[in-house]
Amino acid sequence: MQKPIYKINRSINAYLFILPTYLLFILFVLVPLFQAFDISFQNYNILGDSKYVGFKNYIKLFEDQRLVVMYSNTIFFTVFAVTFNAGLGLLLAVMLNQRMPNFVRNLYRSIFFFPLLLAHAYIAIIWKFLYQKDTGAFNYYITNMGYEAIPWLNSAQWVLPSIIIMDVWKNTGFAMLIFLAGLQNIPKNVIEASIIDGASQFKSFIFIKLPLLSPTILFVLVVFMIGALQVFDSIVVLTNGGPGDASRSVTMYIYHLAFEKFDMGYASAVSMTLFIVILILTILQFTISKKWVHYD
Amino acid sequence: MTDNKKKINIINFLLVTVTAVFFLMPILYMFSTSLRPMNESFSLPPKWLPETFIFENYLYVIFEMKLPIVKIFLNTFKITFVVTLIQLFACSLSAYAFAKMKFSFKTPLFILLLASLMIPQQVLIVPLFLMMRDLKLIDNHLSVILVNLGSMAFGVFLLRQHYLTLPNDLIDSAKIDGASDFQIFYKIALPLSKSALAALGIIVFNNVWNNFFYPYIFLNDIDNYTLPLGLALLSGLGGSYGGEDKDVILMAAVGFAVIPVLIVFIIGQRWIVEAFTKSGLKG
Repeated sequence: MQKPIYKINRSINAYLFILPTYLLFILFVLVPLFQAFDISFQNYNILGDSKYVGFKNYIKLFEDQRLVVMYSNTIFFTVFAVTFNAGLGLLLAVMLNQRMPNFVRNLYRSIFFFPLLLAHAYIAIIWKFLYQKDTGAFNYYITNMGYEAIPWLNSAQWVLPSIIIMDVWKNTGFAMLIFLAGLQNIPKNVIEASIIDGASQFKSFIFIKLPLLSPTILFVLVVFMIGALQVFDSIVVLTNGGPGDASRSVTMYIYHLAFEKFDMGYASAVSMTLFIVILILTILQFTISKKWVHYD
Repeated sequence: MTDNKKKINIINFLLVTVTAVFFLMPILYMFSTSLRPMNESFSLPPKWLPETFIFENYLYVIFEMKLPIVKIFLNTFKITFVVTLIQLFACSLSAYAFAKMKFSFKTPLFILLLASLMIPQQVLIVPLFLMMRDLKLIDNHLSVILVNLGSMAFGVFLLRQHYLTLPNDLIDSAKIDGASDFQIFYKIALPLSKSALAALGIIVFNNVWNNFFYPYIFLNDIDNYTLPLGLALLSGLGGSYGGEDKDVILMAAVGFAVIPVLIVFIIGQRWIVEAFTKSGLKG
């Protein structure tokens, strides 16, 4: 008789421990998630006169030419931002992992890392100045070298690359930090053994370090991808989506639909597509990774 | 062979130095512009290093600008402080339960929480906005605080990884001595978790301090703004109100926002770098 009561008590305590977290989680994540799903089937009127319209909002997705633009912008940004963030981050980590005085390594690591601590809004303001067509610092050097000024933020062709460059400056430090920690976790004797066996530095990097680093690489790719697909702050401040829709992301479109056009039903339908895209890509990345990630 | 290696080391060092200088330039440019005289707003060739150290722009930003930046700074601090404190409290309790206690549905409850990391903020924002409107919390800092408290999955995950490393013997022997669950948590687990708590605190603080999206949605009155939102407005977002067109002023405002972060980073560098490393190494 004693034992079950004791067990139940223990159990109740555990539920009390998770209660604050779960209560807030249910109220501000789970309930809104179901509501968003529900609203996506309504012609939602902010003043309260809403009605269910079945799949109308979802059918509208396929006829929306702007949505195609937003998705291609977002995917373009994601592919290149993730690649360059992870690629440069890995390169910097490898460079910092070579022989150099410790304080120099720490100083450089801090320099690459610092932009990560700043809000996108601050950074976008600084870069907006650097990117100005006639008065910006970048174009000053470019025109001085005899090239034509680049319309960084004013042309549909350049605006996304400009945003990607700024994003890499801000975020690659995080990838560097994670890769550097990963590299330093690789046991020294593993590397030494491979070099004694006659492998060159380069070969030992490709065949020994990289495979050992693969779980870290996967982690960085997933985290950066989820973040990049939701890009919002930096673009809002740098270009506010312009010129035209050339730099507008899916998340900015959701904001525009919900809070500027007050079409909350359709905004919710669009947001569901983004959720599903992120879900599928994350699962896909983990499935594909089984082929190349080594966990040991 | 060793000569070759030395060469590689030197080339590597030069390359990484050049990259570091490039990385510093936008920040240097911001500071050097903010320290120029107010009437020399504009300068080509670009000056990367400050030549003058004139603080009149900073004084203008603090005392005279239409945007009440000191109040906005305090707003940001208030919201960030409250969210960080509550997250640390709630996350550590639930992370301990998920790591060291037995209860039904433990795994599904944990996985459900973790899976929520994949939900974009934008999916929830329409219902959250309607909820806050019905609760009359629009333009109230409480709305920003509450929605920031919904996303504790990361914190629970990070701390759980830490609690899992605590030896079970320690907890079992305390149980035998008659300690309650809360006593074990409070007197044994918590004191052994200072570094993990510090790491989480740093990350949450930084996230909320820099958060733009929630204040953008929930706050309308300029007096209620947070720093990222205020600066975005200053740079021309949202029409002309409060917009500053002089580079030097705008850069001084950015400097005003960046300097505290820089000071905190210089003082707490070791812990901050460690916190972000921890957050990335899957605990």
